[in-house]
Amino acid sequence: MSEQHIKEFSYHIAWRSRSRRPGRHKSNQRGMGMEFRGHTTLLSYPDPRRIDIRQTIRDPLEQIHVRIFNQKSITPVFVLCDMSGSMQYGSNQRKIEVAADIAQSVAQSATHNRDLVGFIGFDDVVREDWLCTLSARPHSTVEMAENLRSYTTTEVGSRGIIETVRLLPRERSLIFMVSDFHMPISDLEASLVLMQRHHIVPVVLWDSSEYSDLPEFGITNVTDPETGATRTLFLRKAYRDRILQSFNDRRATIKNLFSRYDMEPFFVENHFDADLLSDYFHQYVAA
Amino acid sequence: MGFVHPLVLWLLPLALLPILLERSNTKTYSWVAMLPADPLSNLIGLLLKILAAISLICIILGLAGPHSLEQKVERIGIGAQIGMVIDRSASMDDPFSGGTAEGRVGETKSVAAARLMTDFVNKRKNDMIGVVTFSNSAMYVLPLTESREAILAAIKATAGNSLFQTNIGGGLTSAVGLFEHVPDSGSRAVILISDGAGRVSAEVQQKLLDWLQRYNLSLYWVVLRQPGGVSIFDPKFEEHYEGILPSEVELYYYFKLLRSPFHAYEAEDPKSLAAAMADINQKEKKPIKYMEKIPGHDFTQLCYFIAALMIALLLSVKYLELRTWNTKI
Repeated sequence: MSEQHIKEFSYHIAWRSRSRRPGRHKSNQRGMGMEFRGHTTLLSYPDPRRIDIRQTIRDPLEQIHVRIFNQKSITPVFVLCDMSGSMQYGSNQRKIEVAADIAQSVAQSATHNRDLVGFIGFDDVVREDWLCTLSARPHSTVEMAENLRSYTTTEVGSRGIIETVRLLPRERSLIFMVSDFHMPISDLEASLVLMQRHHIVPVVLWDSSEYSDLPEFGITNVTDPETGATRTLFLRKAYRDRILQSFNDRRATIKNLFSRYDMEPFFVENHFDADLLSDYFHQYVAA
Repeated sequence: MGFVHPLVLWLLPLALLPILLERSNTKTYSWVAMLPADPLSNLIGLLLKILAAISLICIILGLAGPHSLEQKVERIGIGAQIGMVIDRSASMDDPFSGGTAEGRVGETKSVAAARLMTDFVNKRKNDMIGVVTFSNSAMYVLPLTESREAILAAIKATAGNSLFQTNIGGGLTSAVGLFEHVPDSGSRAVILISDGAGRVSAEVQQKLLDWLQRYNLSLYWVVLRQPGGVSIFDPKFEEHYEGILPSEVELYYYFKLLRSPFHAYEAEDPKSLAAAMADINQKEKKPIKYMEKIPGHDFTQLCYFIAALMIALLLSVKYLELRTWNTKI
């Protein structure tokens, strides 16, 4: 996929970036922005272009005042990508391909906002070979995501999610956690506790053929891609309903967990639509 | 329980394959733990494996050819142990003199003998009968048995094409051999049906003399005469007959010398034949105790049938198998 086909989404952050680097997000750095922050004297902020004449005249002490503005800064953006066995699953598109779409879209959008973007892949461990350090250019991440499309794996889980935190910067970052979250809730919670410093957008990749789009009736054998466990399924109405119920419960569990850490999960079913992610930011992230 | 090819049983561990190996056509599901437990599904999964294992076991058992071993059952009946010695020489294909009187013109002696024996066997339900035929040499047909079916079939088989010579000595010695390993019931007889032609060497004569006595056998000789043939009872051959005695007559005089009971009958017309049979019937009636062999039952078909049934079940499950589930891996 060439870069012009990558669909971008618009996003913003709800906190003030502390980065000095000029960008598009609110920042607490003084600089050449539009956001008025206060006054100070010319002596302490020797920028004659910003002299506030009205304030200077009003000052009985006859000091010269200067307006201070906050600049707009960048924020680091990360894609945490689950590369476990379950991400190989999919009906039209494998989940790992959807994840690649998302990673590319994020990289492109972040670069558009002059943000730095990085990519961290993990399965049972953090994959050092699937790592992109923060960069102002999207290419390495886009290319890595492109490689992700043909990625296949053996039986691995996703316990590495806990370790990813050590690769994240100390400053608050925007993190897209792309996974199907088919992992024990305790693992997930352990990682969320460690990542509370960051703004996390959980992107939940589910496939409709996993639960709602099951065949009507029949017998089949299923294998778990992570553990290799095999089960025989006799699908029928009652059992399909129970599977659906189980997934609905799971959805509620995931939502509750993220809500407790003040995050709203973004559910992606079958394929990624960047517009929906834009809507998500408008809806859930205070501007 | 026995097997025709026991070595095939070494293949039996193959039946574990469906249990040990996973089915190759499984679908990958993202997280099996998300699927709620379903006892029915588990049961079906287990049953499928067991079905596959059973069908393999049955096929392998079928290949090994299982059968139950033959059993010996002691039976008691009233009757005799009779060895039938039937002439199959070429002369038996000549016409039978008694046939004309009964309205069966041109009946050959061999067919007549078979007919007479069949009637006789049908009359005596509890006899153990063995069959030996002879022409150039003796042919062992049937050991002493109670099976009517086998006896009748054996008699029927004697009425076929004939060979050339008449070796009565060989036939009789073989018939005596029938009684060798059978417990004596007290009523034992050898019925010789021949057209009489044939000479017996002195050595065999002596042997027969001994054996018939040792095995306590009485001998009944039914002579099938052809029209115009010599009669063994012809008084002209008695004493002082000058010239060479016909072979039938010579044999008759030899049999008369036996130390065991001997009777000769000329089956010339139905009446005399009926009389002969009635005579034998009456003389040989004592309770006999004998072991009957019940052949083993062959279970091969059953094995294959079960295997086919299991495979049919598996196929029907295959028909139920999901083909519509569109998953990538």
